[in-house]
Amino acid sequence: MAAIQVDGLRKSYGDFEAVKEISFTVARGEIFALLGRNGAGKSTTIEILAGFQRPDGGTVRVLGLDPVKDRAKVRKSTGIMLQEAGFFPDLTVARTVDSWRDLVPAARPRAEALELVGLTEKAGTKVRQLSGGEKRRLDLALATLGRPDLLFLDEPTTGMDPAARKATWDVVTDLAERGTTVLLTTHYLEEAQRLATTMAIMDRGAIVASGGMAETLAAQTGRVAFELPSGVEVQDLPVDVTAMEGTTVICRVPDPDVAAQTLLGWAGERGLRLRGLEVRTATLEDLFLDLAGKEKA
Amino acid sequence: MTTVRETLAAARLGGRIYWRDKQALTATVLTSVGLGIGLPVLMDRLRSGDPSLVVAQLIGMLAVVLTLSAFNQSAISLTFRRDQLILKRLRAAGLSDGAVLGGELLNIMTQSVLIALVTTVAVVNLTSATAPRDPLLFTVFVVLGATVLTLLGAAWTVVIPRAEVSAPMSVPFFMIAGLGAGAFGPMGQLLPGWLTTALDLLPTAAVVRVGRATFADGTFVDDLQAAAVPLLILSVWAAIALLVISRRFRWEPRRS
Repeated sequence: MAAIQVDGLRKSYGDFEAVKEISFTVARGEIFALLGRNGAGKSTTIEILAGFQRPDGGTVRVLGLDPVKDRAKVRKSTGIMLQEAGFFPDLTVARTVDSWRDLVPAARPRAEALELVGLTEKAGTKVRQLSGGEKRRLDLALATLGRPDLLFLDEPTTGMDPAARKATWDVVTDLAERGTTVLLTTHYLEEAQRLATTMAIMDRGAIVASGGMAETLAAQTGRVAFELPSGVEVQDLPVDVTAMEGTTVICRVPDPDVAAQTLLGWAGERGLRLRGLEVRTATLEDLFLDLAGKEKA
Repeated sequence: MTTVRETLAAARLGGRIYWRDKQALTATVLTSVGLGIGLPVLMDRLRSGDPSLVVAQLIGMLAVVLTLSAFNQSAISLTFRRDQLILKRLRAAGLSDGAVLGGELLNIMTQSVLIALVTTVAVVNLTSATAPRDPLLFTVFVVLGATVLTLLGAAWTVVIPRAEVSAPMSVPFFMIAGLGAGAFGPMGQLLPGWLTTALDLLPTAAVVRVGRATFADGTFVDDLQAAAVPLLILSVWAAIALLVISRRFRWEPRRS
């Protein structure tokens, strides 16, 4: 049984269609990234999966249950890190965790919860005095207090510094290795690429690309870039040029390694140097830019 | 965790927050207790030798105190917690919706009952007013009144658009309750008949009616007879509040 099964999900706010008949499946134990720009419908989807909102159409199953009708059962097995949710600002970090431990069955000990997210030293600090990134870490501590089978992470590292972001990635990876299914939304494509095994990209409420992260990226074109040697015309090059950025030649090719070898061989025969040569396989960012380009076209 | 345990856990959390919040304490506890005790004590000084006036003032003020500490506190507190997304976070903690809301309301209702009882005990001890002849029935109706007003406060949040206007949109009710209960003197005599009848149907009027009966001469049977209609009024208001809450309560700020 899949951890999450979504078929034809729809949701509107007034005349605005936030989610348009999307379908996807998240297998147990995997990290699934739901990507897209602001307003793409990611948070609405997560809130429906978490049982906060009723869908207008389609079916949703979370751990085999209807998240609205069986909300109590679903919530006992899920942890939720919301993109937006308030704290009691006058409670300390330790008090906040203690208060939540009262609400969650079989909760982690406070020390373990704080250590997990690197907030041990902030235990005595009032929540109102925490930075944005520290509040996100406290949020993660609360979401994981009950050792959930399924964890929803909505923009988990927004506002975090690079070290805290890296530490959060480690926490999420560790949880997944212990069998927790994770549904992640993020703006940070590097984060999704680093953590997720499968993904779906949403745009204006619809899924515009989906699949395994590695397979999807492998199907995309790679990129070779270099400065055009003086005295050489673009049409003289042995590869197709996609674009020019100033004097930099950009080639989008299925296999960037082969294209680079061809270019280097061609340049060597002519005694030319390819300054600033950059070769890389497709990234999620390329995929995003491709989709944005198709949309404009 | 059972629903009862979840509700009690949510109530404990709400209480912990409430007693640390100096502004909330000032607004509800000090204002309510100050008004509830102050005016009857003042009346006792002005019209010494007439305990019945003091009792009438006390009972009238109980309507004000219950409205401030139950209805207003419930409406304002829940609106702020809704707008600050704290209700959303509590729902995310895995509690049932009933436990989240029940815990918040249980906490407010308990505080309101304590404030009303402290006010009553203080006035009885500081003035010539006698203690209620039937303290049990008196207490039962204070609890019922606080419960219904707390529920009505939660229901009132449905029409409050945002936290900033929750206080001005809730304050008029304590004036209305006080007017109907005689807390501001015999001003009710100046009102048209239809308005007096309407004010008699308020939940606070039900508490006041039973309160008067429990302070006056009579028997337990008389008290039960006096309590029948007020009990019906409170039940109808409770049903209305629960219906509104179950159908229209908003856990988050409006999106559209």
